[in-house]
Amino acid sequence: MKLRVQYRGRELELEFEGDKVKAKDLLKAMNLSREYAFVVVNGEVVEEDFYIREGDQVRVINAISGGQG
Amino acid sequence: MKRCAKCSQKAVVYLPHHRIALCKEHYIEWFERRVERTIREFRMFSKDDRVLVAVSGGKDSLSLWHALHRLGYQADGLYINLGIGEYSKLSEEKAKKFAQSLGRTLHVIRLKDVVEDIPTLKEMEKRPACSVCGNLKRYYMNKSAKELGFSVIATGHNLDDESATLMGNVLSWNLGYLQRQYPVLKEGNGFVKKVKPLCLITEKESALYALLSNIDFVEEECPYSVDASSIEYKLLLSQIEEKSPGTKLRFYLEFLRKIQPLLKREEKLELKPCSICGEPTSADVCTVCRLKQRLTLSEKGQGS
Repeated sequence: MKLRVQYRGRELELEFEGDKVKAKDLLKAMNLSREYAFVVVNGEVVEEDFYIREGDQVRVINAISGGQG
Repeated sequence: MKRCAKCSQKAVVYLPHHRIALCKEHYIEWFERRVERTIREFRMFSKDDRVLVAVSGGKDSLSLWHALHRLGYQADGLYINLGIGEYSKLSEEKAKKFAQSLGRTLHVIRLKDVVEDIPTLKEMEKRPACSVCGNLKRYYMNKSAKELGFSVIATGHNLDDESATLMGNVLSWNLGYLQRQYPVLKEGNGFVKKVKPLCLITEKESALYALLSNIDFVEEECPYSVDASSIEYKLLLSQIEEKSPGTKLRFYLEFLRKIQPLLKREEKLELKPCSICGEPTSADVCTVCRLKQRLTLSEKGQGS
């Protein structure tokens, strides 16, 4: 299945096998850790084992920012 | 499914290093209480102080401003436009919209008007863009706070920022920076008091608070910070944290408790007013005025 993911002001298209994917597997596919990133599905923050399906509105927040304050 | 430790509703947030799961409402309450406790524990400011929040439009500064406002502090914002194309345009828009939603004042400074924008300075300076940018932001935060009559400057530095900075300073044993790495920098010598009320909040906790409080923040990264070493240190620390929750907090808090008091005894930094602008500096002329002098020279050079 294809997932459209909102990430840092851009829309990414990712492809997964099957008709659902766990939030933690989406983070893994994006090379992100749960330590600093999380998934928002249809406006709700979801747990790592939540299944995302095609058509869901998905946003991934990566909290890490760099630079000097 | 995890349940909220406070009300047994479905939890939306799990904090491994605090071993607590919370629903939206209780997470917001937990976050604000933690900020309030940090302000009190480090004696940052009181409700009589006028606080100037350094606002970038990102999750940390907007979460901080939001929390301070909800906790009843007199907090206005200062936004410094760095002149970095779309990134600065978007972040200024978000900061202004957020100030309106709070009903508080946002003071705006454009670097282009007072010195030069970051893209131009990056070409001119040998230092990394983040170093020049940080230097200018600190200078104009201090100057503006004094001119506008604020007694405290609050920045959105979080636990990840502080532990990554600590790691960088320890790896090079930079004693000068380690001496000054504390969540409260006292007023005096021309400096307004500077505080970091989010120093015990992780970057993820800050992003979760922003999201659950419906704060519209800039998610895009500054294009110049992509290769910043602080990101590398944050990623390394997050790997350790994943295996051993609580490491970042312990690393930072134990530094403050055990090492900082030893370093403070050694601190002997003499500051005097800059002979040009009057802002505090350890040299005769401060770094910002020296930067302005170099800019004038390079403009003259181009003109001739």
